[in-house]
Amino acid sequence: MSIVAQAQPDRASLRSPLAVSQSRRSTTSFARRASGYLFLVPYGIVFAMFIVLPFVVSLVLAFCQYDLAAQRPPKFVGLRNFREALVGDPFFWKAVFVTFRYVAWIIPAQLVLSMLLALGMNAMTRGRNTVRAMLFLPGMFSIAVTAILWQWFYNQEFGLFNYLLKKVGIPGVPWLSSSNLAMVSIVLMSLWWTVGGSAAIVLTGLQQIPRQVLEAASIDGANPWQSFWQVTLPMLKPVLLFMVVMNTIGAFQMFAQSMLLTNGGPEMTTRGVVSLIYDTAFGDYRLGYGAAISWLLFLLIVGFSLIQFLLIRRGAAGE
Amino acid sequence: MGAKTSLFLLAALCLVLGIARSERALPTSAGGKSVEINFWNGFTGPDGRVMLEIVRRFNEEHVGQAHVTMQRIAWATYYNKVMVSALNARGPDVFVLQAQSLSRKDRAGIVDSVDDVFDSDPKLLADFDESLLDRVNFGTRGQPRRIGVPLDIWPHGLYYNAEMLKSVGLTNPDGTARAPQTRDEFLRAADQLKHDGQWGFAFGNWAYNFMTLVPQFGGRLVDDAGNPTLDDPGNVAALQFLADLLLKYHVAPPPEGGVAGWTGFRQQRVAMVFDGIYMLGDLKRLDDRLDNPFYRAAPIPQLGSKPGTMADSHVLCIRKGLTSDHRDAAKTFVRYVSDHSIDWANAGQVPARRSARESDAFKKLTAQYEFSRQLPYVMYPPRTPSFSELQNAINLAVEKAIRGRASAADALRAAQEDYTRYLERDRMEREFTAHQEVAP
Repeated sequence: MSIVAQAQPDRASLRSPLAVSQSRRSTTSFARRASGYLFLVPYGIVFAMFIVLPFVVSLVLAFCQYDLAAQRPPKFVGLRNFREALVGDPFFWKAVFVTFRYVAWIIPAQLVLSMLLALGMNAMTRGRNTVRAMLFLPGMFSIAVTAILWQWFYNQEFGLFNYLLKKVGIPGVPWLSSSNLAMVSIVLMSLWWTVGGSAAIVLTGLQQIPRQVLEAASIDGANPWQSFWQVTLPMLKPVLLFMVVMNTIGAFQMFAQSMLLTNGGPEMTTRGVVSLIYDTAFGDYRLGYGAAISWLLFLLIVGFSLIQFLLIRRGAAGE
Repeated sequence: MGAKTSLFLLAALCLVLGIARSERALPTSAGGKSVEINFWNGFTGPDGRVMLEIVRRFNEEHVGQAHVTMQRIAWATYYNKVMVSALNARGPDVFVLQAQSLSRKDRAGIVDSVDDVFDSDPKLLADFDESLLDRVNFGTRGQPRRIGVPLDIWPHGLYYNAEMLKSVGLTNPDGTARAPQTRDEFLRAADQLKHDGQWGFAFGNWAYNFMTLVPQFGGRLVDDAGNPTLDDPGNVAALQFLADLLLKYHVAPPPEGGVAGWTGFRQQRVAMVFDGIYMLGDLKRLDDRLDNPFYRAAPIPQLGSKPGTMADSHVLCIRKGLTSDHRDAAKTFVRYVSDHSIDWANAGQVPARRSARESDAFKKLTAQYEFSRQLPYVMYPPRTPSFSELQNAINLAVEKAIRGRASAADALRAAQEDYTRYLERDRMEREFTAHQEVAP
């Protein structure tokens, strides 16, 4: 209503043609700005409902005792939920350990593999786009589809991997039922699912490196190995650090992989923090405690991200 | 794009969102219109088709009175959906719960009393075993408050491959195969049948396998006061025997690199498995492809000091807060399904109604009938709001013992500690909440 009202020229502006022109310009400019904001409104509503509101509600709940199955409203308990997680719940620390193990395995593996793939693609003169598309393809599947597919790959009796292993005389491997192998299996699947996207990012970074710099290094007598370590890698550093930060944040939130492939087993060796949050909030209906663990995970991720950003800044300053 | 166009688009969006928000109008019962009943369950297997047929017949016989829409949801997410939707008073009108989960749903206040269903017909009450009625009674025997009508009982029993057992001499006088009945017979058969990638026995659901053996070894999961007794010597003996099948007798495939129990049985690579009667539907799907079904069912052999097995029950519940029209229709439907429990038995279940179990039609269902022979001595899971936590503790203990990571005694002691810690926390939280409510 106010926009329509402002779109109408007022009487004062009718006094001179210049004033009319200025008024029209200003009205048009305002209408343009307003229409821009209006287009943001639907997203703003969704963002507020599904990001901001849950964020605030979970923060409040983290300080409350709230059992969905107890017919009682939330009660403020201060820091008790946090204390319970940090001091009184051994399953929390087990889940933290599992999450760290996953992060510690997948992040370096993703980094190295995506680097190798990107370097390979960068060196290709023909078919690069085809290879890139093929590598990127798994990332287009949803995690549910990916996990079901890999569940069959890993099937001990009918699975593709054990079939191939048996073909070369190696007995079947208990991919998902062994406490030692289950996490490795999850990491392998996650790598297949994500490495294409990471490689595409690194490839873009490689293509941004000016050819002249590499040629100059070559003229100065650097062999390919020296050229990689002294030129390519330093120039890729911002891209790699960005990728590591984003992948680390994602890895800390590992959930669907273990939920769908192993359901946290065997012996809870693949139940990460997000799975624990899910079990607590939606299995035990302890929403307050679940929210507190969520915030602890959030703080953990923020802490790690800050460290990584500091490293980036220090690296940039060093250069 | 001008401001007017933007405003128009925004108004259109609001209109669309508003329409999306508005609830679908439920059919009204006024004026003789059919009452719409939403019925949820977790029967996603072949049993769901049998239940659908019962629902279809109900709808045909109650045209103009009530119409039931059935929704099947996988058990993995079923309880969450029931709980969350019912708390918001938007859940199903009628739903199926496992008896072991009734306590928690009762605590959440989403399940209505069905005493009026039982009170309406004295014969109905007399048609259930007392022990089964106790599962749904959250009052006392003198002043009952029953919150569900038991639909069936699902005992765990022995599935065996007839030809394999015949091959090791386990036969009746008429030459047909028979199941092992004693510990010696069971172990001998399991040992003799283990060769060339074939196994005499394989674990099914580990925790259920353990709970199946608990009553045989004189164990119990909680005492009469409801305190956990997971490290009870009887439980330790039951778990030790289960672990020994793998670690001492070597008659079960190892969890790492072995044959999966149920899959192996279906493939006829495993001769014997312990599992619930609800798995029968999975086997019956094979019947069309087989000239002569290979499987038979029998009570669990006596492996401990006395016969025993575990069982539980699917229970028909009505949500709290229904209007009187809906509630009446829901009651009619619940009663109808209960009255047709012999049809439900065809899905691979043992009916909760005694009259159905004693019928000739039921005796012809050989597998269900064989499993039902265990009813006099079945052990039901303890009634506790924290059954899922109890089950988690048991799962971990059984897994540790079978994998040889801990002795049965140590694994169950750790489970006892975990579950006790949970109960203590739950008690403190409830006391704290009660205190907060009284304090002002």
